[in-house]
Amino acid sequence: MPIQNKYNSDMDDLGEACKDYKLHLTILFCIIISEYIGVIALDIAGVNIVLMPLLYSLVLAIAFYIVKPFTWINKTQSDESSAIMMLLVGPLLVKLAIASGQNLTIIFDVGLAILLEQLGNFGTIFIGLPIALLLGFKREAIGMTSSICREPQMAVVMDRYGFTSPETRGFFTVFLIGTVLGTPFISIMASVLAYVIPLHPYAYGMACGIGSASMNAAAVASLSAIYPQLSVQLEAFSGMANLIAMVTGMYVYIFAAVPLTEKLYDILEPIFAKFVKEEEINIEEEL
Amino acid sequence: MEIDLSFKMVSEWIGILLIFSVMAAIGNYVGYQYPFVESLIGMFILCLISLVGLIVEKLLPFDNIPAIIYISLIGLFVALPWFPLADLIIYYTSKVDLISLTTVLLAYAGVAMGKDLGSFKKVGLRGIIVTFAVIFGTYLGSAVIAHIALAYTGMI
Repeated sequence: MPIQNKYNSDMDDLGEACKDYKLHLTILFCIIISEYIGVIALDIAGVNIVLMPLLYSLVLAIAFYIVKPFTWINKTQSDESSAIMMLLVGPLLVKLAIASGQNLTIIFDVGLAILLEQLGNFGTIFIGLPIALLLGFKREAIGMTSSICREPQMAVVMDRYGFTSPETRGFFTVFLIGTVLGTPFISIMASVLAYVIPLHPYAYGMACGIGSASMNAAAVASLSAIYPQLSVQLEAFSGMANLIAMVTGMYVYIFAAVPLTEKLYDILEPIFAKFVKEEEINIEEEL
Repeated sequence: MEIDLSFKMVSEWIGILLIFSVMAAIGNYVGYQYPFVESLIGMFILCLISLVGLIVEKLLPFDNIPAIIYISLIGLFVALPWFPLADLIIYYTSKVDLISLTTVLLAYAGVAMGKDLGSFKKVGLRGIIVTFAVIFGTYLGSAVIAHIALAYTGMI
């Protein structure tokens, strides 16, 4: 089966994107402002919320798109940026991988935990699926909640359900929202959870490696802001967990996550159907 | 099998990665006071490894292994203590802060999101809530199991 991955398909815009200096200068402006502001730690009722520069750069960039005077940022630049993003994930992954490589000895000590921790990725099924059903999603819910919806699972869901199926639609809904909003969300969530549910920082460090480079980086940075003396270990553990999640992701997804989600769907759907009024869910045309 | 790799494609990758390197190095100088030149060398190393991963993916005949896997494995390998250049690579890449790369990525993501703003509205709050539940469930599920495993093996 030919497997399309996002890396190959979206790169047609790159030639033009290279030369679009106005776009790059705008981005550079967003970065300088964001990095200049730096990390802000808010103390709200004893819970330390860490705000990262990535959050400001996202908001600034969206503002540039929306606010009309900046006419040089429009749909073309939007397409170019999608293509560029796919490429920029690479150096981020290398940075994480180097953190793992240089600390391989301390990773061996906790190897068992990192392997077992992968099972925790099924947590999305037990928390996500009921919520999706409660909100009135049907078969879409299977695509949405059977995984974190990143690149390793993308080919599988299209291959298994077909490109126009509700499952694939659901998958891409979460993929799209996760790409943009997932990263700022996890950076704030990681800092809040560290206070609300005080598990060991190492455990949270491993949990950061969920198979998405940007989410991994954002979550680890939040944790490192709280536990600066552990930042080396946290980066190393998360990088290794992330690598394992990516390598095994596709197989775990085919053989375990999808069957488990379908089983749970068959059990839960009739129960929720009684409570949730029949709604026409139409998210077809926007994807 | 047909190798789908052109000079044009590689030069475009290099172009984007060069722009990214300069931006990230400036970001590191502003945000973390790292020396600009050292950050830039660090970025060049990170980008070079990504580039090798991208090219390897095109050259090897395994259709279902995405470039991100090659990139990660090469990155891991060159930082191992017995790799001759490991110290050099680790030194320069330590002048690039992990999160500074995400700042750049998310700026592009913001512009990329622009054209999808309409669909975000349509999918609406329900889609966003489910996405957050998916991330929350994955993260917390992993952390709980990791905590139990660490405690069981006596590491914490």
